[in-house]
Amino acid sequence: MERLRTRWIIFLGLAAVVVISYTMNLPFKTSASPATEKAYKYIETLPESSVVIISFDHEASSLPEIQPIALAMLRHVFRKNLRVIGLSLFAEGTAIGYEMLNRTAGECNRNYGRDYVFLGFKPQYISAILGLGESIRRVFPEDYPGNKTDTLAIMRNIDTYDSVRMVISIADGDRTMQWIEYAGARYNQKVMAGLTAAMITSYDPYLSSGQLFAVVGGLRGAAEYELLYGRRAAGNRGMLAQSGAHAYVIALIIIGNIIFFRSRRRKREG
Amino acid sequence: MRTKIPLLVCLVFGIMMFGQYFSAHPIAKAVYNNILEWWQIIFAFTLLVGVASFARNSLRNISQRKEPIHRSIALAGLLVMPVLALIGGTKTGSPFLWSFQNMLAPMQSTVFSLLAFFVASASYRGFRARTIPATILLVTALIVLIGRIPLAELISQSFPKITFWVQDYPSMAARRAILIGIGLGSMTTALRVILGIERTYLRGE
Repeated sequence: MERLRTRWIIFLGLAAVVVISYTMNLPFKTSASPATEKAYKYIETLPESSVVIISFDHEASSLPEIQPIALAMLRHVFRKNLRVIGLSLFAEGTAIGYEMLNRTAGECNRNYGRDYVFLGFKPQYISAILGLGESIRRVFPEDYPGNKTDTLAIMRNIDTYDSVRMVISIADGDRTMQWIEYAGARYNQKVMAGLTAAMITSYDPYLSSGQLFAVVGGLRGAAEYELLYGRRAAGNRGMLAQSGAHAYVIALIIIGNIIFFRSRRRKREG
Repeated sequence: MRTKIPLLVCLVFGIMMFGQYFSAHPIAKAVYNNILEWWQIIFAFTLLVGVASFARNSLRNISQRKEPIHRSIALAGLLVMPVLALIGGTKTGSPFLWSFQNMLAPMQSTVFSLLAFFVASASYRGFRARTIPATILLVTALIVLIGRIPLAELISQSFPKITFWVQDYPSMAARRAILIGIGLGSMTTALRVILGIERTYLRGE
């Protein structure tokens, strides 16, 4: 009963911290991490009309963390007048990716078929990644709304990774690893990632070796990217709530240890 | 015969795929492209098997009165979503996309966010300095956690640097060792499968 009560107090405390810090809406101040800065600077230096593939490799469950990253990067690539080929190697990422592409393209007055395209979902990700290196049109004969890929202006003279400057994988799992291992290793394709915070350390070895070019990681990465881009959005808003939750967990660990040491001393004395 | 043919197919395709990696010959390219397409088609059929298996399991459980409400809702979702997609398409503003964004995505995010509550509870109960290794783990976790919040920069400019050091050296060394181990293990297993030594995928025969 005592354990159950403690658990409920912890749960309610966390809920209170998140709700209060989210409603405060204070600006988030920090310096951008080197990985986020590298991602931002690379996109900033790309010439106009360069082609980037953005792959929405995530589930709906990670949307609160993934969406701010994806939106910040999409707004940046559209503002830079880059051409975007969107696709998804995760069934759930398809509808989400299509909606985010359309929304950000609309904000920047970009036209479907000329400035961006969404190719949809392919079920077997390894064969899809390898196939894109041979012929994008063969893997995706039609785009998501059902147009023939051949007929789209954006796809003129683009059929393999040779015409693509960068693959940006927005992922909450290990899909980016497959982009690195298959598109990167076999076709020398530059790969960048937008990842959930829990996945960042899994990609550290790839980032350090240069196989993964740059990472925008977690809500913090999104907030840093928004600061660099100059438009505060969902990343900044969520950052205070996330930091509050982190501080709460740190406090819980410290309190838990104080209680543990006190009870141990009492046992020794008793 | 039941085992020899799959083993032979595995051996031939394994060697062929290995060989084509080093060849730019048009025939090797054509074979490679065809195999990539077959791979997609075979995988698409496995999705159908998954759907059929889920439907059969759900129907069986409903008929046996095992969690009939939950199973019925899950089955209804499986049937309704494709119907919505067929009737109204999947474009922005369609009923399919509306259902996805306003029902599935919030539900999944809610379930996922519950993890934060259990992490908070577990960190209070489990993260204790009982032994020296546990203390090292605890101190490291605290440094990394503090380093990840903006408040750390206000406490000390060194906090983020220490966090990056922990991630870049001790953590990275361990991860690389694990990754190299996995890589070597995968290669060995692949070779064993191609050469027919590893046969557990044939139900152990």
